[in-house]
Amino acid sequence: MKPTRCPVSAARELCAGVFSLWLEAPDIARRVKPGQFLNVRVSSGLDPLLRRPISVCDVELSRVRLVFRVVGRGTALLARVRAGDELDVLGPLGRPAPELHHKEILLCGGGIGAAPLLFLGRRLRKANRLQVLLGARAKAELLLVKEFRALGIPVATATDDGSGGHKGMVTELAETQCRMQNAECRVQNGRRWSAVSGQPSAVFACGPRPMLADLVKRLDPIPIWGFVEERMGCGTGICYCCALPKKGGGQVRFCEEGPVVKLNEVVL
Amino acid sequence: MNLSVTIGRTTFANPVLAASGTFEFGLKFRSVTNRLGGVVTKAITLLPRVGNPPPRIYEFPGGILNSVGLENPGVEDFSTEVVPQMANLKCRVVVNIAGFSIDEYGELAAKLDSTPVDALEVNVSCPNVREGGALFGQQPRVVEAITAVARKRTTKTIIVKLTANFVDPVETAKAAEAGGADGVTIINTLFGLALDGNGRPFLGGRTGGVSGPALKPFALFCVDRVSAAVRIPVIGCGGVMSAADALDFLSAGAAMVQVGTASLVNPEAPLDVWNGLKQHARQNRLSKWAEIIGRSRRQS
Repeated sequence: MKPTRCPVSAARELCAGVFSLWLEAPDIARRVKPGQFLNVRVSSGLDPLLRRPISVCDVELSRVRLVFRVVGRGTALLARVRAGDELDVLGPLGRPAPELHHKEILLCGGGIGAAPLLFLGRRLRKANRLQVLLGARAKAELLLVKEFRALGIPVATATDDGSGGHKGMVTELAETQCRMQNAECRVQNGRRWSAVSGQPSAVFACGPRPMLADLVKRLDPIPIWGFVEERMGCGTGICYCCALPKKGGGQVRFCEEGPVVKLNEVVL
Repeated sequence: MNLSVTIGRTTFANPVLAASGTFEFGLKFRSVTNRLGGVVTKAITLLPRVGNPPPRIYEFPGGILNSVGLENPGVEDFSTEVVPQMANLKCRVVVNIAGFSIDEYGELAAKLDSTPVDALEVNVSCPNVREGGALFGQQPRVVEAITAVARKRTTKTIIVKLTANFVDPVETAKAAEAGGADGVTIINTLFGLALDGNGRPFLGGRTGGVSGPALKPFALFCVDRVSAAVRIPVIGCGGVMSAADALDFLSAGAAMVQVGTASLVNPEAPLDVWNGLKQHARQNRLSKWAEIIGRSRRQS
């Protein structure tokens, strides 16, 4: 797999510390599936050395969108990229999220976690019924709300300070959603999340580890697919540096077996 | 122009190897692996190992620290599941073996002797395990004993991968030679500690092994010394990021080079290094690598 140099066609700051880049990358745009990521060089020299793995946020014709938050030196360098620059990109990498049909699916994103859910929502919306729940510290930091609505996916929001939607955590919203459905289900057939289609449904979540852990606790036993973030070495499965312990022993190498994993099977 | 290299009973089509731990088993990027001199596998142990808890990698200006901790499927599964897949690679297959006692190296060598792999790289230098590993590699007598035990149990080419942590690799290289090694690889990662900014160790394995471009001057220094002191070929490893780096290693006395950390940044890196070397050989009308191997000593 050869790295490709992709021209940046648009670069913009979405809110404080969160950036959006559109890359002209026809080959990647054609092949990439939701859940996959690109491994991006943030310098042309040897420092920083490693690529930075960033989930694909959206795809439009020949363009791929990356939305990322500045968390360290590497992402700070990436935030300086301007339209007209080129990025050295390896990908798409990682195992795609499962393709689901005829399901009721909840997409739950905390902060920057909204990013990979947009591409997933775009691909899942036709064959499934979707609902998006987004959380952030404040209204200004709620990401991609317009984009989700433009896809016709209903969005509910939660903010720590109550400035946008529910005051509190997005996991609380998720629990309310599921219990509501659950109450209906119990009356009908005793199964959760089966009110409409009669099939078990799924939750996709992306956000900080504590949020994912909280979600697992609140929604158990509903299966949750989580987009997990961990430091990676190669991103291609050859170095074994990204390991997430599995419940009951062993570990997931999640650049390869993830980054979307069943949250109830791993130790967060 | 013959650009192949022979170590022990093994002839490599060219002097570039993918270093142990940084290219898995060479199966993910076959088109790269096939064009190298060979691939050195992840370290294989007698029993399967899950490796160290995360995080396992830390980046600093100049390279990385890793603490993977020899995660591998164990020699049985490796032999039955992985080796058959490696059998149709078009390059040489070198299996890196790591034991936790002297006898384990013998057992590993014996078990792999009947498989179609080309050579063994005896790892006495892993910094990320509590016993064995680099502790063995710090004691010339133990290095000699391990090499001799492996030598007795296999007819395959034996390369010993040495450490430069708190030991003069000249002494351990001589010990490996005395034990019957066909070649030595120098250097493995250096001991390192990274803290998280709040005074706690960053890596899940607490300490790690330093690799990457920062290692190159020290690795070159070691290759220079070791290759002057032993008659068996030396494989240079440590911070090879480009063909220019590889040329430096050959000039310092290495017969081959291994590309490691660079593959994490770009899986085509080992191939880029080989293509660059080949181009250099053509442009300078080299008839064999011997013309440049060790030339730094001849010219000083």
